[in-house]
Amino acid sequence: MRIPYNWLQDYLQADIEIERLCHLLTMGGLEVEEVRDWTATDGEATDQILMTAVTPNRGDLLSMIGVARHAAALSRTDFVDPVTSFPEIDNPVTDREKASIGPVTVEIADSVGCLRYSALLIEDVEVGPSPDWLRYRMEAAGIRSINNVVDCTNYVVWEMGQPLHAFDFRLLKDGYIIVRRAEDEEKLLLLDDTWQTLGPEDVVIADPMGAVALAGIMGGTDTQVSETTSRVLLESAHFDPVAIRRTSLRLGVSTEASYRFERHVDPNLTLPALARAAELIMMTAGGQIAHAAIDVKTRDFATKSLQLRPARCNSLLGTDLDAAAMADFLRRLGFGVEEGELLTVEVPTFRPDVEREIDLVEEVAIVYGYENIELTVPGHLTCTGRLTEQQRLRRRAGELLRECGLCENLSFSMMDPSDLDECHWPQDDACRDFLELANPASSDLTVMRTTLLPGLLTAAAHNARQRVSDIALYEIGTVFFPQDEQSLPGERQHVAVLMTGSLLTADWNLPVEQAQVDFYYMKGIIEQLCGGLGGPELSFVRQNHSTFHPGKCAQVLLGDETIGLMGEIAAEVAEAYDLPDGACASELNLDMLLERAVLYTTHQPVARFPAAERDLAIIVPDNDEFASARLIEEIEQAAGEFLESVTPFDVYSDPQQIGAGRKSIAFRLVFRADDRTLIDAEVEAVMSAVHSYVEEEVGAEVRK
Amino acid sequence: MEDKLEQLRDEAVAAFQNAKDEEQLEQARVEYLGRHGRLREAMTNIANLPEERRPIMGSLANRASREMEQVYQQRQQELAQQAAAQEPGEQIDVTLPGRASRVGRRHPLLATLDEMIEIFLGLGFTVAEGPEVENYYYSFEALNYPEFHPAMDEQMTFYVGDDALLRSQTSPVQIRVMEQQQPPVRIVAPGRCFRRDTVDATHCHTFYQLEGLLVDEGVTFADLKGTLEVLAREMFGPACHMRFRPDFFPFTEPSAEVCLTCMICGGEGCRVCSQTGWLEIMGAGMVDPNVLAGIGYDTEKYTGFAFGGGIERLAMLRYGIDDIRLFYSGDMRFLAQF
Repeated sequence: MRIPYNWLQDYLQADIEIERLCHLLTMGGLEVEEVRDWTATDGEATDQILMTAVTPNRGDLLSMIGVARHAAALSRTDFVDPVTSFPEIDNPVTDREKASIGPVTVEIADSVGCLRYSALLIEDVEVGPSPDWLRYRMEAAGIRSINNVVDCTNYVVWEMGQPLHAFDFRLLKDGYIIVRRAEDEEKLLLLDDTWQTLGPEDVVIADPMGAVALAGIMGGTDTQVSETTSRVLLESAHFDPVAIRRTSLRLGVSTEASYRFERHVDPNLTLPALARAAELIMMTAGGQIAHAAIDVKTRDFATKSLQLRPARCNSLLGTDLDAAAMADFLRRLGFGVEEGELLTVEVPTFRPDVEREIDLVEEVAIVYGYENIELTVPGHLTCTGRLTEQQRLRRRAGELLRECGLCENLSFSMMDPSDLDECHWPQDDACRDFLELANPASSDLTVMRTTLLPGLLTAAAHNARQRVSDIALYEIGTVFFPQDEQSLPGERQHVAVLMTGSLLTADWNLPVEQAQVDFYYMKGIIEQLCGGLGGPELSFVRQNHSTFHPGKCAQVLLGDETIGLMGEIAAEVAEAYDLPDGACASELNLDMLLERAVLYTTHQPVARFPAAERDLAIIVPDNDEFASARLIEEIEQAAGEFLESVTPFDVYSDPQQIGAGRKSIAFRLVFRADDRTLIDAEVEAVMSAVHSYVEEEVGAEVRK
Repeated sequence: MEDKLEQLRDEAVAAFQNAKDEEQLEQARVEYLGRHGRLREAMTNIANLPEERRPIMGSLANRASREMEQVYQQRQQELAQQAAAQEPGEQIDVTLPGRASRVGRRHPLLATLDEMIEIFLGLGFTVAEGPEVENYYYSFEALNYPEFHPAMDEQMTFYVGDDALLRSQTSPVQIRVMEQQQPPVRIVAPGRCFRRDTVDATHCHTFYQLEGLLVDEGVTFADLKGTLEVLAREMFGPACHMRFRPDFFPFTEPSAEVCLTCMICGGEGCRVCSQTGWLEIMGAGMVDPNVLAGIGYDTEKYTGFAFGGGIERLAMLRYGIDDIRLFYSGDMRFLAQF
């Protein structure tokens, strides 16, 4: 809200310099976001405007008086309330539903939407331009000056926070005001020249002909005050915040009035605001009060009484204030306080947000000053601050990937279903079952991600377009999937890796196969990750997945369960993302992996006796039946207890030398006994058993 | 005669030891130990001595000869070693780029989060986690949000169903933790949150938050201030302080907005802090008794504080990053810097 500094002085006894005032208000809960210099359009007046940001619970600070009261309390000075009094307003005609006086009748037909409706008829006004002082104040407040009558009502809105409306009484049919719900499809032309189509959710002010104003939001053009107006009916009402908010949100119309009603206006302000407006109108437009005011109120609005235990207040704040100080703080804010063992506090109706003892504690803290509360550290430490085992394992997983040279990437949790088309994801895959956003922020982020790969591919594409060719990224993040039976969708932690380009910080003179990422490097990373997490046994099986190269893709299994996939990115996907051929990627279900992971491995004794090594080269058909993993299993089976390890060291196919459709694969076998050094004869015996086994049982040709 | 031998020996030893290189040593060897050298000459002279003197002088000459030989050989070895050391052998270009495995990096946002978690672990807090998709109850109702209240405007929530939404803060985790245990509760809840914000240099619809909750007997607002002051000092040094001013949140009372001394200008006022010297980084306050009572805690016995804020701003200050979009750029040139 715009608070003109000079105007505010009207309500302050003491002179508070503007810098100090801003500091006091900001530290007292009413943030002054900036101070703007203001000069009137005719150059004849200047002021400084405090731009305040009001928290949604403090409707009372949306007025000059509210701000002045708060500033006075915070500076421990006095506050001046511009009280006006007229006998016609002090003694209104009052009723619960409907009241009349002279030519005016007011009826509340909707006691949910409208809790109170006060009205006052002023006659013989001369509508014209506002005097300079009023025009300047309107301009300083940022309100367009209309005429003297309307400006006076807006002046009171600014000063007191009570929205007012002025009708040209002549244009109200039968002088009859009824507050009711709009009929279905009821139309109303508002003062901003927009037609609104209303319905039973909306509260309107109507005369017997139809709606004349949208309650608490804006008046209608048909009954507005103009040059020809001589009798003005002033409306000063109290509407339900929720009803006003609903209509305001639905129609997209927000005004100074609706903004205040949503944040709660003092229900006992209707009559004082009428008095103040009447005073100002008579001063600037002449005229006189025609009759007593009408005050239809559906109920009484009494002050609340609360109790504050000073000891409780101190024990919550960590302060050592005495009860008298607390009472003084509360009185300065406009609360009535009766001191005793407990403070009995009367809460004024302009503070509906203060409902409980704890709310009074906050008021005390605000006036005392948050800055003045000490710094202490909470005592009796009863828990050990430590990550859980699962948290430490997840952290370890990230460390292992970084140790493998991968940088951590973060991508958005939202994606577009077409992202999966772009990376040629299989059509019938479960990842296409999305959790959809009801209100997406943009058209390319409409569903929750089901896989991390599109995010990593997008990141890689960004790098490739920047001519960054060495890419090594991983991401650990949540993927989402709908769950019909559950109230909330399913969430899983996944880990994904994408690499292309050089493995090393530099690769001059190195042959490509040593320096560049390939399928086996990616596989090695997955093995390192699992090994580092306590070595759950993984296996890899050929997989067909259209995002990946048809011959270079594997399903990753943990025991019998699939936990993910890996491979070289298919050429057409690489092209779509501007990636070089040979980029590799992988995605695993991290939750499943961590379920089997262990933080602490059990020590295996290191061998004490030397090993014997033998090589075995065989020629087999080049197909999945003779995959190296199976050959190793066969060799292990044949080699018996002394075999420590068997690792391939040379693989090749050469139709000229070994025939088409065949491959040569050479293994190194390491034999060791844990209680002695093996002798040659023992090893030779095992090797010859292995030879005959692979020839006879496996159908391999042993190269001699 | 004996003197002459001794003199010869001393001269030879000196000549050997002073030889600067193998060539000089060879010259000295020829001069003293050569076939026509001075030792041989002296030996010849012995043959001309009277017979009774010959054995003595002979053995003296042999001893001198051995000593000279020994010094010669020692020097020869020394010079050979020196020469070997000076031999150039293979030379490489030491300025070519190093060729090591790459080292991966933690994302700067999560590195900042880790650092904060570390500080709170030291203060006896544990880390609690919860789902990123939440229901209305945990997101708002249990947190004392009134329905149809302007406070809801600030949340800018994404919905994924009738009663499922992307959490706009990690506060639901606080409720889930309290439902599972009696006080004392001492947790921090880090995680990803979402708000329907338009993306620009300082805003993003996706962000990370760290919230904290402490519920116990006798917890005070002063404890809250002290705890966050520890965070400020640990993160940014002893010149960095927290400033508390009243604010409004449905789930705390009293509530505070928490600012940090602007590290860019040291509190003097600059563009980053809009000339205030302070940067808003958190919301905090004493847990509203309605929230504690909703859990079933005895609000007379237990009080608590809660705080929470985004990580992005702290990470941007920590690393001098001026555009929030860089965090999600996936750019290797950015990610490899931290």
